[in-house]
Amino acid sequence: MATPSLPSDEILIPKLLARDELAYNQIVSAYHGLMVHLARAIVGSAIADEVAQESWVAVLRALPKFERRSSLKTWILRIVSNTAKSRLRHESRTVNLGDALEDSPIVDPSRFKANAHWATPPMNWHADTPDALLSRTELSECISSTLSLLPPVQRAAITLRDMQGLSMEDICKVLEVSESNGRVLLHRARSRIQQAIEEHLKR
Amino acid sequence: MPSCKDITNHTSEYLDRHMPWHKRIGYWLHLLMCVHCKRYVDQLKLTISTIGRTQDATPPDVSDEQIKDISKCLQEQMAKTDRE
Ligand SMILES: [Zn+2]
Repeated sequence: MATPSLPSDEILIPKLLARDELAYNQIVSAYHGLMVHLARAIVGSAIADEVAQESWVAVLRALPKFERRSSLKTWILRIVSNTAKSRLRHESRTVNLGDALEDSPIVDPSRFKANAHWATPPMNWHADTPDALLSRTELSECISSTLSLLPPVQRAAITLRDMQGLSMEDICKVLEVSESNGRVLLHRARSRIQQAIEEHLKR
Repeated sequence: MPSCKDITNHTSEYLDRHMPWHKRIGYWLHLLMCVHCKRYVDQLKLTISTIGRTQDATPPDVSDEQIKDISKCLQEQMAKTDRE
């Protein structure tokens, strides 16, 4: 949308509180796509739009009480994350952080010798750019399906970091996890995909 | 000096520069000497940039029309809240 660039939070917030129409358009234009993207990562695409809508209402209702301890964007994404998580709970699907942090090894322990050095080292992928890698048959489908199998919070972490480019600090605020747990979530998610790529290339 | 297993457990911290400098030096020295871990780290880096290039990585497009609809619907909803 040809909206002028988004004004700073300081300018935008009072306008939103005054129910300024242009401000509403600007903020929806700037964040709706990101909100649906994050909601999809947590609840799946079928109800992501609904979660985003519900989050908007929550955002605007809570806005007078927004304390600006983070940027407006981070705060909005946190509301999306919480709305999505409570939606999962409603459908009695778990958002168990414990599962997502599960203590399973990053790399299959049988690939290491007793001294923790490689016994079965990583194979050569014969690709050093994303394009080269994605040109392999069905690799992109393999990544998609691996993403879909991750615990929702891990998928949210990878969406915010490696797709939307948020800082780790903001991601932890959005997902309401400690910095060290946030890093674990992200590393587990990435490693699962790395492993899936390796298995796919072996075929 | 970290073991190969340690290297694989902390690759994201290393790549995202979330590692304290004293740990970082050990990590870096290991990578100088171990071709396998060097490959592992390069592959995680490649994995990360490849994730960013897949279809899932792009937030959905929102049309002008959708923006106006959502914005209007929200304004109406908030007007209702104001009256209550
Ligand atoms: Zn090594």
